[in-house]
Amino acid sequence: MAPPLPSQRSPSPSQPSGRSEVSDLKLQLRQLAGSRAPGADDSKRDLFKRVISYMTVGIDVSSAFSEMVMCSATSDIVLKKMCYLYVGNYARCNPDLSLLTINFLQKDCRDEDPMIRGLALRSLCSLRVPNLVEYLVAPLAAGLKDGSPYVRTVAAMGVLKLYHISAATCFDSDFPATLKSLMLSDPDAQVVANCLHALQEIWNLESNNSEEASRERETLLGKPVIYYLLNRIREFNEWAQCLVLEVVSKYIPSDSSEIFDIMNLLEDRLQHANGAVVLATIKVFLHLTMSMTDVHQQVYERLKAPLLTLVGSGSSEQSYAVLSHLHLLVMRAPMLFSSDYKHFYCQFSEPSYVKKLKLEMLTAIANESNTYEIVTELCEYAGNVDVPIARESIRAVGKIALQQYDVNAIVDRLLQFLEMEKDYVLVKDLLRKYPQWSHDCIAVVGNISSKNVQEPKAKAALIWMLGEYSQDMLDAPYILESIVENWDDEHAPEPSYMFTDKEHRGPFEFSEELGNLSMGAESADNAMPAQRYEENDLLLSTSEKEESGGPTNNGSAVSAYSAPSDYDGSLISVNSQTQPETAISIPGSSAYTSPATLAIDDLLGLGVPSAPAPPTLKLNPKAVLDPATFQRKWGQLAISLSQECSMSPQGITALTAPQALIRHMQGHSIQCIASGGQSPNFKFFFFAQRLDGSSAFFLVECIINSSSGKAQIKVKADDGSASEAFFTMFQSALSKFGVA
Amino acid sequence: MLEKQMTAHRVDRSICAWFWDYVLSQGGDSSKILPVIASPTHYLFQIFREGITFLACAQVEMPPLMGIEFLCRVADVLTDYLGGLNEDLIKDNFVIVYELLDEMMDNGFPLTTEPSILREMIAPPNIVSKMLSVVTGKSSNVSNTLPDATSSFIPWRKSDMKNASNEVYVNLVEEMDAVVNREGVLVKCEIYGEIQVNSNLPGLPDLTLSFANPTILNDVRFHPCVRFRPWESDQILSFVPPDGQFKLMSYRVKKLKSIPIYVKPQLTSDAGNCRINVLVGIRNDPGKTIDSITVQFQLPLCVASADLSSNHGTVDILADKTCNWSIGRIPKDKSPSLSGNLVLEAGLDRLHVFPVFNVGFKIMGVALSSLQIDKLDIKNTPSRPYKGFRALTQAGEYEVRS
Repeated sequence: MAPPLPSQRSPSPSQPSGRSEVSDLKLQLRQLAGSRAPGADDSKRDLFKRVISYMTVGIDVSSAFSEMVMCSATSDIVLKKMCYLYVGNYARCNPDLSLLTINFLQKDCRDEDPMIRGLALRSLCSLRVPNLVEYLVAPLAAGLKDGSPYVRTVAAMGVLKLYHISAATCFDSDFPATLKSLMLSDPDAQVVANCLHALQEIWNLESNNSEEASRERETLLGKPVIYYLLNRIREFNEWAQCLVLEVVSKYIPSDSSEIFDIMNLLEDRLQHANGAVVLATIKVFLHLTMSMTDVHQQVYERLKAPLLTLVGSGSSEQSYAVLSHLHLLVMRAPMLFSSDYKHFYCQFSEPSYVKKLKLEMLTAIANESNTYEIVTELCEYAGNVDVPIARESIRAVGKIALQQYDVNAIVDRLLQFLEMEKDYVLVKDLLRKYPQWSHDCIAVVGNISSKNVQEPKAKAALIWMLGEYSQDMLDAPYILESIVENWDDEHAPEPSYMFTDKEHRGPFEFSEELGNLSMGAESADNAMPAQRYEENDLLLSTSEKEESGGPTNNGSAVSAYSAPSDYDGSLISVNSQTQPETAISIPGSSAYTSPATLAIDDLLGLGVPSAPAPPTLKLNPKAVLDPATFQRKWGQLAISLSQECSMSPQGITALTAPQALIRHMQGHSIQCIASGGQSPNFKFFFFAQRLDGSSAFFLVECIINSSSGKAQIKVKADDGSASEAFFTMFQSALSKFGVA
Repeated sequence: MLEKQMTAHRVDRSICAWFWDYVLSQGGDSSKILPVIASPTHYLFQIFREGITFLACAQVEMPPLMGIEFLCRVADVLTDYLGGLNEDLIKDNFVIVYELLDEMMDNGFPLTTEPSILREMIAPPNIVSKMLSVVTGKSSNVSNTLPDATSSFIPWRKSDMKNASNEVYVNLVEEMDAVVNREGVLVKCEIYGEIQVNSNLPGLPDLTLSFANPTILNDVRFHPCVRFRPWESDQILSFVPPDGQFKLMSYRVKKLKSIPIYVKPQLTSDAGNCRINVLVGIRNDPGKTIDSITVQFQLPLCVASADLSSNHGTVDILADKTCNWSIGRIPKDKSPSLSGNLVLEAGLDRLHVFPVFNVGFKIMGVALSSLQIDKLDIKNTPSRPYKGFRALTQAGEYEVRS
């Protein structure tokens, strides 16, 4: 049944909603009350049924109480039962009226039919009206001595009910003592069980208050009582057996022979059809052997089979309960179950809560002997229609891989999952543990398109992998960059953790992106959760650290670039006055060029500045620079020049892959250190070295958009004064690309 | 909603509202909710049967299986009494439901759950009793006498049976659970079997059932009537049966090597389409006809549309993307095959999720575990009773992965 929607819970038209139906019922009941006419019982039964059905759906029919009681003087047992039910439900809110019912209930308690005696006594005890307690004692006392075991069973339970209403009355009448003697002597097992249940509850609740009660509780768990119960255990029904076993589990035997006696006696209970009995027996076994370590292990062994049987039979709810118990055992002694792994294979039709438990257990019991089979099985679940389970199973494979030494095959399989775009988190964990696998993984990771990764954790894992292994993955910076560009959509904290994590590891050219990121985050929205703020702070602080670490004000340059609109109007107006100065400052050492002026250059679209031609420049055709030095230099140096220029149409068509341009530029003594991207966006990092004595390096970032035909070029130089000349060379080299 | 307060402490109905809220928060499907939930005020046990949720509340921690087993028993007894289980049946018979609950539990402690005894206390609402009530005008569905069994030492049997037809039937009902993995390897193959006995014997009969090959049985569980010692020493089932239908024993036979039919699914996908082809045939002939063969599978969610056809039997695709292929018997001249095309959702190139094929079948007259009943001795009966034996194997969780 689907959970009812709130609107459906309101009374439907077919159900009486107002008082009119109830008063109508009252009227009809009153008419029938005194009737002795034939058929009156049948009409009464109909009315009673209606009253009770209203009661069942939650309509208050307590106002018909007196009419119901008036009608209850009947010999019909079904009517009586319905009346008992009604009275039991409403007596508490009508204590005065329920006095009326006492009379007829007491009369019924003396009926010659034991069934009616029992039912009446049960209802009488269920009234739960404190001021009627005095009427309970006599029928209860009679009930406990009744010839019919049915009535005695009811009476034993009645004592417990009486205790809950008024403990004092219960003790004054000395009922607990009567129960005890009944428990030890009654021929009927159900009576014994009910006495035991009642006594146990009473003494447990009382034991805090009185010495005597806790002594009584002790005797209940004493050897004579326990042995008496154990000897009769086969007579009890299944539920009573559970109760007895529960009591036995609290018993502390005096020596080991006693323990073995009890276990031998109870061994066949492990094969009982009722799972509750089996589990209660298991509990007894485990409690008994708690102090004997070696036997305890044997007991595990003995308990295994019945538990595994229980898992397989019965409904999914039952097997869940059993599995939860098994789960505990498996966690305590995984070795014991290592050959039974097939029991924990998941069936397609099982509910996912069962599957989840089974996966956990499969993970726990995996060892050298069964890893292969278990992993094969788990891999089959990876294609499961139930996506959370598929994910869970891949994670389980990963966990097994982290436990075991033989991870060869497992890693291969995991990489297959990667290709299926399933789980990245795991591979990250694996890589953290087994760095030697990195090369295999990287090939696959490189192919992952970051756009397909949606889950925040997966994203974080991907970023970590890219950051950690960036030296082996030429593409890494570009993939990361595209992630950053799409950052606005991101609202989960995890990736940003990873960013900062990676940042500490060794910045390549990320500080800039990071700056972008933090700027973007700041302006994004003000309603960000507090956690997000913390993240931002973290990010900002790291990028500031970078700034202070480097000699130049890289960070502020970034901010100037990313917020040009704010400056737009004002700067241009300012610029008209300061232009001469600017013109002078450009040919000067660009290391000291303020970022703001560069921005102005850009804004005004000055193009190639009209400055004195720098001395001619010769480049070293065999310049060498290792990536680490490049990184360091890139981080340290300020941008000495930033320009946008157009590519020739031929150049654009030739630029199908980055390699073509790299070869071309090599011909002009400009080396490439890193490149990446896909059409239409390509990104290159070049460097070149002066051939003259200074051997200063020029570093270039070149972003080419092949659809717009524009190239954005940023130059950083050891010797800033030569960057203009270098730029001219670079530009001419670039313009010749594809022409020749 | 039907409510029965069992203890002095009254549980407010609002717990149900809490429960439904919880169900909704977990996705709204009751069958996927954990059976044991800790609510802020109570521990809740719930089971889900045929669209009905059975909910029990406990204030203190208790053995969870006791709660769950009891609810299962309540569901079984109700099904038995009402001849099914659905909302209307319960609404129509709520008085009986109340009466049953009354006898099954008192003050939170389970009393009588044995159906045969309950039936003596409260008559089931069958057609006969309805007829009687019309004819005689008296319609008490409660017997006036208390069953003797509540006081006897054999609680599952009333002490004297008068009008018994003097016959006993033994049914071997086996279910085969098998898992075939992607490579077509049989990963797991087990039989779960039950021995169902229908006994109509007078007096206090004493039965002994022995097997020709009891050693193949693992994990046996018995009805309370089975004496444990004879089984321990000689693998003989010795018991005094309850009256009517009951489950004498359940067992499991593990590590079987052969399955009666094979199912070979093939899925190849590229460019947003997936070709599907399933072949079914007999692998190991059990010697009897294999009946009611069905293959059922769930199309992955990413499948936009499916076009399936078969050369034998009928194929239905239900609204929840469940595919039903009912084959019936395998014809002599050809092996049934199902083929078709699945169109994937836009943007998906290949299928990454693979369906599991659930296979159903039924074989009358054979116990595939090869368990054989040797003989059934009946003592203590006035005349020779009639004995009948039957066997049946059907598919349990028989799944083939692709």
